Amino acid sequence: MVTPVQESTKLVTINIDGTEYSVPEGGNLVDMAKWFAGNDIPVFCYHPKMEPVGMCRMCVVELGSVSRDRATGDVQYNEDGTPVIRWFPKLQTACTQTVTDGMYIKTDTEKVDAGRESVLEFLLTSHPLDCPICDKGGECPLQNLTMDHGNGVSRMYYEDKMHLDKHYPLGDLIWLDRERCIQCARCIRFQDEIVGDDVLAFHERGRRLQIITNSDPGFDTYFSGNTTDICPVGALTTGDFRFGARPWELTEVPSISPWDAAGENISLSTRIDRDFGGKTMIKRVMPRQNEHVNEIWISDKTRFGHHFTRSDNRLQSALVNGSERSWDDALATVADALKGSDGDVAAIAGGMASNEDAWELAQLMQGIGGERLGTWSPTHTGADLVAQVGLPNGSNLSNLGKGDAVLIIASDLEEEVPMWRLRLKQAQDRGAYLVVANSRLTKMEDFATDTWAIDNRDVEGSAVEYAPGQAVEAMQNLDDSIAKRLSEAENLVIVAGAEGLTLDGHRALVQLVANFLIDSGHAGKENSGLLVPLPGANAMGLHYLGYTPEATQDIMMNPPKVLITLDADVSDDPFASEWLSKVDTIINLTMFADDSLSGNVIQLPVQSFAERDGTFTNGERRVQRFYTAQGPMGEALPAWKAIANVRQILGQGRAKLSAAAVMLDITKNVEAFDGMRYKALGRVERQFPDVGGEDKYYGGTAYQNKGGVGLQIPLMGGAKKADVKAPVAVHSSSDEIVIVPTTRLYNRDAKFAPTLLVQPRVATPFAMLSPSDAENLGIQDGDSIEISFGDNSVVVRADVTNHVSSGAIYLPRQLSEDATPLVPTTGTVVKTSAAVAS
Amino acid sequence: MAVIGNEKYTKRIEKHLSKYPDKRSAVMPLLYIAQEEYGWVTEDALREVAELCEMDATQVKSIAGFYTMYRERPSGKHWVYVCTDLACALEGGDTLYENILEELGLDHHHDTTEDGVFSVEHVMCLGACDRAPMLQCNYRFSDEENGEYRDLRTEAGEIDMERVNKILDYWRGRERYE
Amino acid sequence: MVEQQYILLRGREIENIHELDVYTDNGGYEGLKKAIGMDKGAVIDEVKASGLRGRGGAGFPTGVKWSFIPQNEPIKYVTVNADESETGTFKDREIMETNPHQLIEGSLICAYAIGAAAVYIYIRGEYLDVADVLEKAIDDATEAGFAGDNIMGSDFSCPVYVHLGAGAYICGEESALLNSLEGKLGQPRVRPPFPAQKGGGLYSEPTVVNNVETLANVPFIMTEGADAYKAIGTEQSAGTKIFCVSGNVKNPGNYELPFGTTFRELLYDFAGGPKDGREFKALLPSGGSGPIVPLNDEVLDCKMSYEHTGAIDTIIGSASLIVMDDTVDVTWVASKVTKFFHHESCGKCTPCREGTYWLDRVLDRIMAGTATEADINRIDNVAQNMQGLTLCALGEFAANPIIHTIKNFREDFLQHVDGGTELEAAGD
Ligand SMILES: Cc1cc2nc3c(=O)[nH]c(=O)nc-3n(C[C@H](O)[C@H](O)[C@H](O)COP(=O)(O)O)c2cc1C
Ligand code: SF4
Ligand code: FES
Repeated sequence: MVTPVQESTKLVTINIDGTEYSVPEGGNLVDMAKWFAGNDIPVFCYHPKMEPVGMCRMCVVELGSVSRDRATGDVQYNEDGTPVIRWFPKLQTACTQTVTDGMYIKTDTEKVDAGRESVLEFLLTSHPLDCPICDKGGECPLQNLTMDHGNGVSRMYYEDKMHLDKHYPLGDLIWLDRERCIQCARCIRFQDEIVGDDVLAFHERGRRLQIITNSDPGFDTYFSGNTTDICPVGALTTGDFRFGARPWELTEVPSISPWDAAGENISLSTRIDRDFGGKTMIKRVMPRQNEHVNEIWISDKTRFGHHFTRSDNRLQSALVNGSERSWDDALATVADALKGSDGDVAAIAGGMASNEDAWELAQLMQGIGGERLGTWSPTHTGADLVAQVGLPNGSNLSNLGKGDAVLIIASDLEEEVPMWRLRLKQAQDRGAYLVVANSRLTKMEDFATDTWAIDNRDVEGSAVEYAPGQAVEAMQNLDDSIAKRLSEAENLVIVAGAEGLTLDGHRALVQLVANFLIDSGHAGKENSGLLVPLPGANAMGLHYLGYTPEATQDIMMNPPKVLITLDADVSDDPFASEWLSKVDTIINLTMFADDSLSGNVIQLPVQSFAERDGTFTNGERRVQRFYTAQGPMGEALPAWKAIANVRQILGQGRAKLSAAAVMLDITKNVEAFDGMRYKALGRVERQFPDVGGEDKYYGGTAYQNKGGVGLQIPLMGGAKKADVKAPVAVHSSSDEIVIVPTTRLYNRDAKFAPTLLVQPRVATPFAMLSPSDAENLGIQDGDSIEISFGDNSVVVRADVTNHVSSGAIYLPRQLSEDATPLVPTTGTVVKTSAAVAS
Repeated sequence: MAVIGNEKYTKRIEKHLSKYPDKRSAVMPLLYIAQEEYGWVTEDALREVAELCEMDATQVKSIAGFYTMYRERPSGKHWVYVCTDLACALEGGDTLYENILEELGLDHHHDTTEDGVFSVEHVMCLGACDRAPMLQCNYRFSDEENGEYRDLRTEAGEIDMERVNKILDYWRGRERYE
Repeated sequence: MVEQQYILLRGREIENIHELDVYTDNGGYEGLKKAIGMDKGAVIDEVKASGLRGRGGAGFPTGVKWSFIPQNEPIKYVTVNADESETGTFKDREIMETNPHQLIEGSLICAYAIGAAAVYIYIRGEYLDVADVLEKAIDDATEAGFAGDNIMGSDFSCPVYVHLGAGAYICGEESALLNSLEGKLGQPRVRPPFPAQKGGGLYSEPTVVNNVETLANVPFIMTEGADAYKAIGTEQSAGTKIFCVSGNVKNPGNYELPFGTTFRELLYDFAGGPKDGREFKALLPSGGSGPIVPLNDEVLDCKMSYEHTGAIDTIIGSASLIVMDDTVDVTWVASKVTKFFHHESCGKCTPCREGTYWLDRVLDRIMAGTATEADINRIDNVAQNMQGLTLCALGEFAANPIIHTIKNFREDFLQHVDGGTELEAAGD
């Protein structure tokens, strides 16, 4: 449980309205009063995730302390034996107080009431009266607190009110209503303190103080949507939800982000809606508090990426060789194909396959003698090592700080797992030493090198640059002083990505990292361990259920007669048509039909995460539940159910009726999942800081976690060092260049493309190369270039930049219509047309 | 036009950057330099200062917007500040301001003469109330020809527009920073 | 009769004392020299013993402030508050213009006593002329070895820098000043930590912030001794004070007089009394921010000091006396001063940001004759609600002109509200 009290915490006694409480020394008074006394001191500017600023003055209380004799330090007593309390003559802001022994506060006096009432009156003098049409109406801290503490009448003349811009775009995604803004600076502070990208600020002063951005590009971070949750009024709204629904019409359904290994806890705000044929649909995605995972933040991709679940392009009924069939027909065809396979069947499961889906598929495979279970996409490996030297249960990235260290190697974490980037960046702010190693500049390297003193704290970091593909060598030859600091850190977290590495190369890197953690004594230590930005939401779950990327590699080399793909877009591999041509029958369980598949193809429509129950196991081995939120698309079924039906036809037993029953099956058969029944996974706990409760001021009603905080799979003990096989590096001959695939959070993946709001911000296809490589190739910045590899090619814009090392061209995946390499390979580059002069 | 790489400013920029342990602290002096170059804090000015101080351009704009002496829109070549705050107003500051507007054919705060030579603003106390009513040109309290700007009233207590005009004339033919 | 006594405005007696050689010929930098030969703690003790109090308005004992600086912190700073933006205040300007070396010397004595790494003089942007004088004086002093590296051959080194503000009264508030100097918005900080504490000062390092006039007194204290200084003035207000007199008097200007001089002596004997044919009506003894008082005999006979002005319900503050005669409508005064605070509110905290705006709007209507007596009571109440709720003292200052003008000159307000109409309140 995440509480303010830890083993080592020293407790002090404070007195709130006459009652004594024992609270951790140094805690924030507002937080402590709430947690220990259930006393909701109203706030606007204060937010427990950010430094207090004392701006709004709403939190005023009477503050005093036990009087002590100056000379002796002894407590002074009244005649009746009670201690003498020295009260401040003026009200004091609670949010700026850290508790100390002998602190006295009063929150229920007339003076305090009058202060709160005055602050509210002042705030409302210039606030517009448009609550009935405001997106925040119904869940608005200002509205709520006015009901509780306001005096109900306004003494401000209407004609004296200030009028300001009501529809100001702060970027493509976030709108600002300047009349509603109460200048609490939460959005500015969020960008500055939490994200580390200070693209928001105040402009002018006094009553004309207003939020601006003047950065290029504007308010364009991957976390911008969080500002709309923490905005205590309706001043900030997302382009996605603006005027979308009234908060009180919405039903909150707990869910899990399907995009990446972080497993962000979310709440799907749903409503029965005409726009979705009268079915229940997602109107917005909100963060749900899980202090172990995402605290109260989510990435914009998670927030805005839900549109694919209702896309018209979803596969809505089964297809056999391109023509629509009933489920019965299609399943019979599938069963026949499997029967005729002689056990030469392989399966590949991808990013959004749940534990239940993967389990049923694995069972099906076992029943028919298929042995190879692969993961998609086969770019990263090391799940087995995460199971051994990952962060042990009870760890929390929020615990990292002074004395600790973080190494991020071969990963563009901002693009791969934005939530980890957010939380590790904050670890750095709290004092952790951050090392970023890559062959090109990434956002995280910015933080590691461009260190500055943030509000009195020294931020420390180092950058390690290596030649393309040389991550293993870089890890082996870490600078002594850096290696020493990492080894000697109290806690050490290492993120080992796969950028520039083949699967073998990545295997070598994660093993090397595991060895390092074992050597330094960090393996198995709380708050220390290995993280791998494995693709998809459930890569760790797939691992525990027997799937490996190495199997995928093998399947690609030696294709089976029958291939089952489960949410695995194998056509993303530019070489797919080659190896798939050797497969007789492809059974594709998918949300989007793949038109490029040829031969015998059965495509079965499966449900997205939003339409069904299920669980994902995140990159920290936390098994988390998502719940049915949205009406189904066409005839789509949960994948586990479709597979169970096939199993029933094949005589493998009666199909289970619910995802819960499937999970029960898993818990009985797979040791890692022992005890992880749905009921246990759905258990909630009180979390510190308490932002999801019944209070009226933290804003964003969705924080409350009603769906469970999940359970972590324990580490497998006995981690041992292993020899590292030097990987075969990708080398280029003289007329070729190494192509290093990279990841972009915003891309043209079929599942993200339906999020039209964000599509304008998806980069046009490009590739980065160094000025010297560009010169050798006769390429200039902005030229159109054709990159060829094998029989394939793509045309992209050349981005000539000294942010990348020489010796490779960096080609982001999933930006262009044509498939680009999944793993590093070699190819040629030619200029097709010159840059258009602007 | 540029500040970065402009020899005219290199020494001053270096001096300011070296004064503080943190480059960000130089944002105010460098905004003055950029304003000197561009006449007001243009988008280019913001980006150049941001680069020099290693700040986000949004933060530079925020600074420029907070203080009144940075100009965020184009204005005349010479800036006339007339104090209309209490101490001056008790001694005719408001009248001085209105007379100057009238003399230059202007009609509001921040207005600029048609020939672009003067912009006039009424301002808060300038810390020279002993000389009330008083004014500043280009943030200066005096010039070589007219000495300290004081005694802007006649013996009879009327605003001495002749003297005021001499002050304006002094600047008319000059550059702002001389 | 009291005499002007020039500890600070020595330029009035010694021509060209702004030049280094004239300054040194007249005992300049002897105080610094003496200090450097002393133990740091002894310097602080001497300043403590002198009874010197801060001239920036709050009157905090200067030596005590210096003694709060933790000696074991490696980096510390001195910041000179030369923002002087209070309406009616122009004393620091004259010191810096005519006697800049005395300020530099005083701040270096402070720097020595607390072990500061540098002195930053934060001067308001409109004092561009004065900043030039200071820069020149600093260059001369540095060249002559009185500032910069190894001052006067000792191992004490301390550069002095000038930082120009850019038009913001709030930057005179010490924590806003520090933010401004750091290149951040000039808004006040939450305290504690205070500037003298680790985490609260310039770049988070312990920092002394002192007013120009405060520091300019220090060389005298070093050379003449604490006792000589304490002998001047009153029991709790030692030394001389520069009184800035402006408004409706015959001879406005700065007058350096011992604390304890009466308002009458200052306003009649030095400032020449009211203009011919007029009578005094009201006085703002501490610029726009202190409570206004009717200028009657009781006030005139009051001594000017930190301890005496409480009896007439006001403060001496920065001693910026704005005098109003019988031609002045105090409602107009309230409106002028409120405009000032509305213009200068930094906007960081709710009561001041919203309150100054609201008060200004209503006063506009009162001045335009479209308000009612209820509006007068309303702004009185709004101003009282602001007090005690704001983050810094500007919000308190902003409430003063309303509360005290209405209290002392209600009849002036009533003249404006006959015939006004009650408007519709928003949200009713
Ligand atoms: C709104 C506001 C404005 C202030 N302006 C000034 C100023 O212009 N000059 C000054 O010396 N002190 C000013 N002060 C006081 C400073 O905060 C601080 O108390 C002073 O510089 C301390 O120096 P001292 O101890 O030498 O007086 C101001 C305070 C407030 C609240
Ligand atoms: S009282 Fe006024 S000036 Fe002071 S912090 Fe609040 S808004 Fe800013
Ligand atoms: S001042 Fe404490 S919550 Fe805003």
